[in-house]
Amino acid sequence: MKKLAVLCALLPAVPSLAKKPAPDPMGPASVAVTPQILDAIAEEMNRDMSQLEIPGAPKPYHISYKITEVDVNNVSASLGEPLARQNRHFVNLEVRVRVGSPDLDNSNFVVAEATEINGTATQNLPLEATPALAKRVAWLTTDAAYKEALIQLQAKLEARRAGSVRGSDAPSLAPTKPVVGEDPVLVPALESLDELEARVKTLSAVFRDHPELRDSRVAATSYVERRWYLTTEGTSVTDTRRASGIVMGAEGQADDGQLVHDYFLRYGHTAKDLPSDKDLEAEAKKLAESVKDLAKAPLFDHYSGPVLFEGEGAVGMVRATLAANLGGTPLPEGLNPQEAKQYGGALTEKVGLRVVAPLLSIVDDPTAKDADGKALIGGYRIDDEGVTAQKVEVVKDGMLKTLLTSRTPSAKGQVSNGHARVPGDGGAFRGSATNLFVMGRGGSSRRALEGQVVAMARAEGMKYGLVIRRFDDAAVTGAPEFTRRELFQMIKSTDQELPPPATLAYRVYPGGKEELVRGVQLAEVPMRSWKDVTAVSTEKTVYNFLAPFESQLQLRLTGGTEEEFVPSGGIEASIVTPDLLFKELDVSGSRAGVRPLPVVEKPGK
Amino acid sequence: MRTILLIGLVACGPVAGERTPAKPLPPLPSRATALHLDLEPVPAKIVTTSSTPTEDAASDKKSPVLDTLAAENTREIEVLKAQPEGARAYYLAHQVIETRVVSLEAEGGALTVDTDDTQRNLDTDVRIGSPALDNTHPISDDTNGLNSPYQRRGMIPFDDDKESLAHAVWLDTDRRYHEAVNALAYVRQDQATLSKHSKEPDFSAEPAEGYVEAPTKLEFDKALWIERLKRCSAKALRGSATRGTCGVVFQLNTSYFVNSEGSKVQQSWTNAQLSVSVGVKADDGMNLSRLEQRFGRTPADLPADAEVDKMISLVTTDLDALHDAPLADPYVGPAILEGRAAGVFFHEVFGHRVEGHRQKDVTGGQTFASYVGKDIAPEWLSVYDDPQIVTLNGIQLNGFYRFDDEGVRARHVPLIDHGKLVGFEMGRNPINGFPHSNGHGRKSAGYPPVARQGNLVVEASKTVERKQLEAMLIDQIKKQHRKFGMIFTDISGGFTNTTAFAPQAFKVNPVMAYRLYPDGKKELVRGIDISGTPLVALQSILAASREIESFNGVCGAESGWVPVSASAPSLLLEKLEVEKGFIPPDRAPILGAPSVRKP
Repeated sequence: MKKLAVLCALLPAVPSLAKKPAPDPMGPASVAVTPQILDAIAEEMNRDMSQLEIPGAPKPYHISYKITEVDVNNVSASLGEPLARQNRHFVNLEVRVRVGSPDLDNSNFVVAEATEINGTATQNLPLEATPALAKRVAWLTTDAAYKEALIQLQAKLEARRAGSVRGSDAPSLAPTKPVVGEDPVLVPALESLDELEARVKTLSAVFRDHPELRDSRVAATSYVERRWYLTTEGTSVTDTRRASGIVMGAEGQADDGQLVHDYFLRYGHTAKDLPSDKDLEAEAKKLAESVKDLAKAPLFDHYSGPVLFEGEGAVGMVRATLAANLGGTPLPEGLNPQEAKQYGGALTEKVGLRVVAPLLSIVDDPTAKDADGKALIGGYRIDDEGVTAQKVEVVKDGMLKTLLTSRTPSAKGQVSNGHARVPGDGGAFRGSATNLFVMGRGGSSRRALEGQVVAMARAEGMKYGLVIRRFDDAAVTGAPEFTRRELFQMIKSTDQELPPPATLAYRVYPGGKEELVRGVQLAEVPMRSWKDVTAVSTEKTVYNFLAPFESQLQLRLTGGTEEEFVPSGGIEASIVTPDLLFKELDVSGSRAGVRPLPVVEKPGK
Repeated sequence: MRTILLIGLVACGPVAGERTPAKPLPPLPSRATALHLDLEPVPAKIVTTSSTPTEDAASDKKSPVLDTLAAENTREIEVLKAQPEGARAYYLAHQVIETRVVSLEAEGGALTVDTDDTQRNLDTDVRIGSPALDNTHPISDDTNGLNSPYQRRGMIPFDDDKESLAHAVWLDTDRRYHEAVNALAYVRQDQATLSKHSKEPDFSAEPAEGYVEAPTKLEFDKALWIERLKRCSAKALRGSATRGTCGVVFQLNTSYFVNSEGSKVQQSWTNAQLSVSVGVKADDGMNLSRLEQRFGRTPADLPADAEVDKMISLVTTDLDALHDAPLADPYVGPAILEGRAAGVFFHEVFGHRVEGHRQKDVTGGQTFASYVGKDIAPEWLSVYDDPQIVTLNGIQLNGFYRFDDEGVRARHVPLIDHGKLVGFEMGRNPINGFPHSNGHGRKSAGYPPVARQGNLVVEASKTVERKQLEAMLIDQIKKQHRKFGMIFTDISGGFTNTTAFAPQAFKVNPVMAYRLYPDGKKELVRGIDISGTPLVALQSILAASREIESFNGVCGAESGWVPVSASAPSLLLEKLEVEKGFIPPDRAPILGAPSVRKP
């Protein structure tokens, strides 16, 4: 009977099982980093911990090793023909040495005129397991990191004594429990270069039918990043990240010469998380139309009033003006205030206070794998300091509960909540957002919000409300159009505090008529503006991206990621957010990117 | 604009700064007062094989890419040359370089690098104005190079598809055209405010060329090479070395060049490079390394295992010796530069300074501009550059090419003839008395071409046996009352300042430097650089050996990296200045190397 009951229970499930796509076949475990390699490296770490010492100088009190193996396939194409095709496979060992004590050590300090001295050192390991060589690499790399740590500690103590930096009572290193988990984490195999090339050729060929466009590119990536963490506290743990992505970018030119861009970007764990080829072709066509529309759109002028951020526009707003401020790691000592701004820090003194509108709550959850049935790539088991990932409620009903922390605390008693992801100046890992969920209470439909933004604008005496649906991403659209002289000028005159320009922005008039506009630039959005979010939508947008290490300005100056190539560099991140209606923001028109019109007609036009 | 010249793996190169008025050149010692030694009238042995630019033409192997480029080039220039004055183009060139680079490297017996990438790059040269004055003319106060083209990779798809190729050409031409129009406006403004400026034109007239070389193939057994490199690197990691690597780089290059004068040139070639490298940090923190490289036209030209074993033995023995060698003090006195070291010395000290465009650079030192026809070296010494040489004394030379990157056929260029300066390496940037290119306009993808070296050859019509050169050095030590002389057998590279802002000096980095004592004893030393000024250094040459050695390498300068060679006899110099080199503040590893076996 028991068996029969089980059978009966299974039967109805068969048809739905049949519809599910077959799971991706798992890829192999690493052949470069085997248990023998880890044993060899750990042995050297322990030897260094017990014996490494320069007479008269402090010994290391903590050593951590991060081994990273990256295998990545990248392909790009234009107008149906391949532009580049590349595999990269490498393994490296990153060593961090701390001298002093957990109360005060060398870390999180920027040595004046020697920012590269930060107690860390990195060296490549072979692509095949060779314990003797791995041990040798660990020996030399730890030696280099130790010497740097001593210099850094000396400079930090001296700077504090002289009062040239403001020291803190917070310890330098928060305690944590050692984590052990040495079984390999297997992930699906990479999509091959041939598979990627076939996809980008097909998609990029769509743009052949749109001669009005100035340029277009399609790129695809598939990569695996295996990591191993070893510390002298006893942590020995491994984790693996896997992502695939597709990027499409197009450029047009308005009659007044302004270059206009739009892009489509999707990432998932594997290609199966991405839209189907048919859907991607439809997106390529939509992208081409969008750029053509932008080229004809009127130039924006000044606006000060309510702004509705929809879909990817809301994601962009969260990414550009909120996410960086959720980190709880103290700013590196020795950094000047202008440089420190890249690390946010607007909320470090505000735990327990209201920091955003009461209708908003914010959770960061690196353990989440999907949201609303869509894959999230920002997650992991173990953070960059070997600490187990934790779900963190950052804001509840507008009140700041806590921040995202690493093992570098901002106050006594603070511990890591497993969000060490970004290495900062001074060598310390910084707590930062991973899978960030912005949640709103009492949401309305998107359509209702559009009505609301118009009504709010009308109440302020304006003819229209403003809706932003996408921000620029210089990693994708940083086309090399500028002269050297213009780039130098841009460095001098660009306000780096501004959010990226809006790519898709619309004036919305009473009655619902929409007008696409170009050259839309938000003024600086201070953290306090988030208290003025007056409404959210019921619809949520789930969006994955790779947060580049470079600023948007740097990417613009250097023509995007890796010379126009597919962005496969950066830190995996996900944002889930409703549409957000802000009560009042300042927005101006921008004539940036105006180029002379072509003298020669495009071929085949 | 700052420029670094590099050869091999170490920096060589003029580097500029702010512009200051050029100082008068130092007077040269006359031959009457210069020291003379009796040399036998036996020339240094040089046997070469050459290939003229038009050999091996295979017009039936023309790629459709060449025709697509030419058609789009013609379509573009027709419109651009009809633009109003100030925006009118008079010349347009397109070059596509497709390069497959295979890199394999092993360290200590394990594979560390395994890449195989192919890229296709498009470079566009559009000139606005006229050959007499165009957008490329240097402006007077441009230390950041703001008026130069922005260096970036011109993307162009693979395959032969006309539509996508033509689109890429159009887009890059549009970008470069507007950049050039903008640059010319600044040039004209600059000319209007200058009291004096260069009268030489910016661009020379050259005949159109047509040449098609059949596409070649890159053939090698990857698995075999990986095994060889693993074996090699396992052997190299021995003695005092903490790093022992062996690597190869194989390249397959295909270049398509068209211009608005009607040139159409297709070239295809492979090259291969093998490196054996070891390194260690000395107790005083000095990074010691020893590198041996071999170059060939194809992977099959690289040395067999027995020769590789000799390379390993050489670098590891040298490294062990360097590790124990004392630091040297500054020194001025007689010295021998052995063959390959002499070649690198000439490349740095002389070769870069006779690159034509430097003679008209208003911010440059123009070291040799006024010395044409005058004695600058011993009368028995001649120097030329000839990219057509395939082998010299049986060694393949790395600086061989048929047509340069401006579509001009490579030519033999006499530079010093029996001690007199007679010529310059020229691209299409003319200088006073040298109105035409001799096929030395070179670059790597993404850079504008300038005059560069190819195969530099130093000839001596009077020589002595190498052994005798050492006896002559001892004589000089005694005559000059020195405790010892110096012998340099290997130079890794260096830099030479060619701008007027800084002293017109050079600095080269010897790897293997020995003190030679009057009793014939040799002592290896380390931590020194050779420095000096080029004119004095050339006049200081006393004698040359009969034997010639060739250095193959890759040289970096403002137009990117180009393959080069330098061949020279060993040279005895009356005086050479040696100064302390930079040693970073560091120390040897604190702990000894880890044990490989568990106790």
